[in-house]
Amino acid sequence: MTAAAWICLFAPAAAVLAIALAGDRITRRQAGYLAAGSTFVSFVCAVVCFVLLLGKDPDARSESSTLWTWLSAGDLRFGFTVLVDPLSVFMMLVVSGVGFLILTYAIGYMAGDVEERRYHAYKALFVFSMLLLVQAGNLLLLLAGWGMVGLSSYLLINFWHQRETAVAAGKKAFVMNAIGDATFALALFILIQKTGSLDFGTVFSKADEALGGQSSTLAVLVALGLLGGAVAKSAQIPLHTWLPDAMEGPTPVSALIHAATMVTAGVYLIARTNPLFELAPAIQDLAGILGGVTIVFAGLVALVQTDIKRVIAYSTMSQIGYMFVGVGLGAYGSGLFHLMTHAFFKALLFMAAGVVIHALAGEQDIRKMGGLGRELPWTTRLFVIGALALAAIPPFAGFFSKDSILASAVEAGTLGWILWGVAVVGAFLTALYTFRLVFIVFGRDTHPRPETRAEIHKERWEGPVVMMWPVAVLAVLSIVGGFIQVPTLWDLVNEWIDPVAESIDEASGALALFSTLVALAVALLGVWLAAELYRRPSERPERIRARLPRTTRALEHKLYFDEVYDATFYEPSVETAVFLKDNVEDPFVLALPGELGGATRRSSTRVAGLQTGAVRLYVLAVALGLAALAVAFLIAS
Amino acid sequence: MSGPGIASYLIVSVVLFAIGAFGVLVRRSPLIVLLALELMLNAGNLALIAFARQTGTEDGQIFALAVMVVAASEAVVGLGFIVAMSRLKADLDVDKLTSLRG
Repeated sequence: MTAAAWICLFAPAAAVLAIALAGDRITRRQAGYLAAGSTFVSFVCAVVCFVLLLGKDPDARSESSTLWTWLSAGDLRFGFTVLVDPLSVFMMLVVSGVGFLILTYAIGYMAGDVEERRYHAYKALFVFSMLLLVQAGNLLLLLAGWGMVGLSSYLLINFWHQRETAVAAGKKAFVMNAIGDATFALALFILIQKTGSLDFGTVFSKADEALGGQSSTLAVLVALGLLGGAVAKSAQIPLHTWLPDAMEGPTPVSALIHAATMVTAGVYLIARTNPLFELAPAIQDLAGILGGVTIVFAGLVALVQTDIKRVIAYSTMSQIGYMFVGVGLGAYGSGLFHLMTHAFFKALLFMAAGVVIHALAGEQDIRKMGGLGRELPWTTRLFVIGALALAAIPPFAGFFSKDSILASAVEAGTLGWILWGVAVVGAFLTALYTFRLVFIVFGRDTHPRPETRAEIHKERWEGPVVMMWPVAVLAVLSIVGGFIQVPTLWDLVNEWIDPVAESIDEASGALALFSTLVALAVALLGVWLAAELYRRPSERPERIRARLPRTTRALEHKLYFDEVYDATFYEPSVETAVFLKDNVEDPFVLALPGELGGATRRSSTRVAGLQTGAVRLYVLAVALGLAALAVAFLIAS
Repeated sequence: MSGPGIASYLIVSVVLFAIGAFGVLVRRSPLIVLLALELMLNAGNLALIAFARQTGTEDGQIFALAVMVVAASEAVVGLGFIVAMSRLKADLDVDKLTSLRG
């Protein structure tokens, strides 16, 4: 079984090497097939691990394997270890499965780009990093994967490096993530000092005693550090500002990294280190609260965005907020279930949006779209399936997973009820902004712009087959994927995850029914409202904006987070730098070396005169010197 | 034990050393300079062996062996330089080889 896990991990790495070494001996398309094929190998191996694990007793479903000692310092030994247990196999399946579909789609999407090979190599590198993250058997290796997904995300966001905005977005993502990486690393330092290890098993069993018990300062600091990493990677408030900008990357990148896999790594981290979070309940609650705030914040901002990908990006933040609410309240199974269905329908939405963007020759502004339902009927159907799943309309996947989180929330005390309320508001906003997008882009028959359609698609279908079938597969998954866990009937995900992270009980009976009906009612209300406002051209949206000018402006500025960060961090440091340059560097630092350098050069020229290059002179000097020393010794004795 | 005393050996050693040093100082051909250097090293060896015989210990002999090794290595490097210089058709005159002047 561990052999399959190793193949799963290293297949994409082999593809990266092969593409990098082959150079232009393989065609661009072959590079794409190589990357996608290696991910498929990973997926097959993940399935093998899953089946083998399934054949075991639930309590014995954990196996680790160490290839070599990766790092050793004093008594510390960190192995290059993979861990195969229900949680890691769950993530391996999602990452490699959805990854394979998106990498296949990318072959069509990126066709013709001049740096296609580099793109496919980066993409495979990302899959490798993400698999390393989820398969790592100790926290240090997890941190290594954590850093590497950040790197590949950075490389892919500014893949189109001629675009200044893309380069800036890449840097922003890197810096924001580095903040999280730093707090994550600090938490690991505390763990190393106190428990002397970073292996999951050792740390979790020793943590209670070593950190000083429940809610001790150290336990809180460790959980806070881990939460910092999770919040940055998963784009939750307050470290969320990089995600919308990351949409500068190619659309398949947005689908894979900034929707389906990498940004959900924070959820995985909290579920994986749940024993540490349970030592600091306040911090776990904080995770849920941050998730709740992000749900509403991102939902509101998504209402006024005009870039098709940014709307979906804000929706991603909001949906990850749901997952944070889930894991924050201890409903790990529900959170991870939503992670999985979200990977399906969000990748579907991004890829369908990618088909639209392709068809419109790169146009992303929804105000310039409209009436595409007639032009792209299949894409429309696929997008609507994704939208229904996102808006949590039964029987689509999102309904079941969101319902599972809500049903857990009502059982989690006062905070649970508050977050339940927030999540219900979020469900309304989700349905509203999702169907606003659907109606504006596909429904309204006012601005059909067939003349902007890209040449390539005119004679063919809506997109190349290699792009369309992965989208179709995801659409099927978005329809049926939810049925693996139906509240009160069966809960396969919870059962599967329980050996690693035991979830709190979900509500059942009348309470569960109440929660479901309320959530469904507000979702339908959202869809209805979106239909009223945007189904046909009307002045009503504009009138609402005119009546609430301040709110609209605040939302269009994303509640001024970027502006505040600029004013508190960026501008003061620029001012300090300018001040230091004018008052310290120019008068002192730059003036001094000029003088110092000149003096040194002058004196050295004089000393250099002694070096004649005549060997015999040197010998004579040595001999005379020795003679003088000998005489001196004789006199002294 | 019979034979000449330690003083005789040391006198020979000093005379050899002086000849060597004189050679290094006054001769210009690098080849001869190397020969003279060798003479100085062996003068040192003679003194070491003489002292070793006098005290009856092996330390001096071991030192002499080490000096021989150094001498051999030095000859290799030095002769290598000389061959390289003559290949470059440089003047084999230590007074004219002053390109390392500061």
